[in-house]
Amino acid sequence: MFVSKINLVNYRNLNRVLLDLSPNLNILAGDNGQGKTNLLESLYLMATTSSHRTNIDKDLINWEKDKAWINVLVEKKNYNTKLSMILEGSKKKFMINNTPLERKYEFLGNLNVVLFSPEDLYLVKGGPSYRRDFINTELSQVSNYYSKLLSEYNHILQQRNNLLKNIRDYGNKNYDVLDILDEKLVSTGTKIIEKRLEVIEKLQILARLNQRRITNGSENLILNYECSIGRGLDNIEVIFRKELEDNRDEEIRKGYSLFGPHRDDIIFKVNGIDIRKYGSQGQQRTTALALKRAELQFMKSETGEYPDLILDDFFLELDEGRKNTLIEIIADSIQTIITTTDINILDNFKNSNYKIFEVKKGDITLRGGF
Amino acid sequence: MRYYPQPMGKLIAELGKLPGIGPKTAQRLAFYILGMDEAAVKELSNAMLEAKEMINYCSICNNLTEAELCAYCSADDRDKSIICVVESPKDVIAMEKTGEFHGLYHVLHGAISPMDGIGPAEIRIKNLLPRIQEGVQEVIVATDPNVEGDVTAMYLARLLKPLGVKVTRIAHGLPVGGDLEYADEVTLSKALEGRREI
Repeated sequence: MFVSKINLVNYRNLNRVLLDLSPNLNILAGDNGQGKTNLLESLYLMATTSSHRTNIDKDLINWEKDKAWINVLVEKKNYNTKLSMILEGSKKKFMINNTPLERKYEFLGNLNVVLFSPEDLYLVKGGPSYRRDFINTELSQVSNYYSKLLSEYNHILQQRNNLLKNIRDYGNKNYDVLDILDEKLVSTGTKIIEKRLEVIEKLQILARLNQRRITNGSENLILNYECSIGRGLDNIEVIFRKELEDNRDEEIRKGYSLFGPHRDDIIFKVNGIDIRKYGSQGQQRTTALALKRAELQFMKSETGEYPDLILDDFFLELDEGRKNTLIEIIADSIQTIITTTDINILDNFKNSNYKIFEVKKGDITLRGGF
Repeated sequence: MRYYPQPMGKLIAELGKLPGIGPKTAQRLAFYILGMDEAAVKELSNAMLEAKEMINYCSICNNLTEAELCAYCSADDRDKSIICVVESPKDVIAMEKTGEFHGLYHVLHGAISPMDGIGPAEIRIKNLLPRIQEGVQEVIVATDPNVEGDVTAMYLARLLKPLGVKVTRIAHGLPVGGDLEYADEVTLSKALEGRREI
């Protein structure tokens, strides 16, 4: 799978961009603040329907305009798909081959993207929400069902938290409604946890192998799902329900939901040590790279095609071992899009076909390739 | 609204408060109304006032009516053993258009939603209970298939089942005349959950 054309109108500082991308390597070169990352962001947005940089959709539209368009042409083995998104105010509209869609779930899964950026390090050393986002984005791209489950779960959670607060602060006595919301939280939450366990099982095998390769076999990585409802995960639904029953007073006192997939985490252990807390910076970077590579391989196995690989300034902080791994990853992939301020990174890709674009003040021009 | 004479500005502002009407549509409607015959404008404003003054809620089922009882509660030919519970009077019309339901209705005027401050006491459940007595065999809960609608349905089920009445929920799943292959995964899995023996 690769993106052959991308067209942006009024997207951030990219007022009018129309590019024919190489099916192999694309390099976006330019100084900081010219719009390189904006182009990557637009691809990420098309794949996941949300930006990796902001939650405020309005920021995506050029500040002088009130509407923005993104069109991409995705080429797969046997067919092409034109994907379009129209951003207006805080609303998004989706189209496939010029046909408007009613739901965003129908939009997901048509373009798969894996993003490598310096922030990936937070995947390992950041708070639990980074790891939940990682697993959620992962699953949402390959499963519409999961994405729908997740938004339903968040909606139930919002209702339940509101009720808990109302009971605490305003003497609301609707315990019977709380019973029902508990039941809904348990049934939807259980499905989410089961899906996540399934994926972590698969990612773990891949990530472990990757970590061993980067470190010449000296580091053993283990992934564990850390569940807020406890350890024994044979009968999630029963344990989940019991946990809510036993801790109702505590939850009311706190005024929000303390148990469920929205409080879960993933533990990374290297040679038995929890490297989220105790790993060196180097180990954490290695693990982040091993995970991202696993993500790429996982998507390939789920969808049958390599996702689009996009790298944001990634070469800046890699040592030799990790740099070699990354070059290997790029060689394996179908399409890669890299941003850089340093044109010398080209030396790493002597044997590949590439196109190089210059990004300057929101204009992107083809400068060469071969 | 200093672009308009004051009465025009007020009209646009009032129209703009209606659902689905933005500033531009409000302005278009206002200009249209200005261009209408005086008689037609009077007709329109009278129709609005009349509707507001004469329509009230059925004392049994809370549906809209101009009398004490709504058209369904006062009819003789309706099946009084089945009550269909819906969120709004619009849903009554939707159900009626099927031509398949001949029972009575109960309109809740909302669904349970703690984040909007709506609990069971804020929707019209209270006058449903006295209706469940001898003769009523089934209550069909036809609230919307979303979180709030589901919570309301489960709440009603818990409330009504001890009274010895059968409580059912309308099915959700595949649209009629659709192709299975085009159904999205979410709808399909819901349909699978609600499958039945043939």
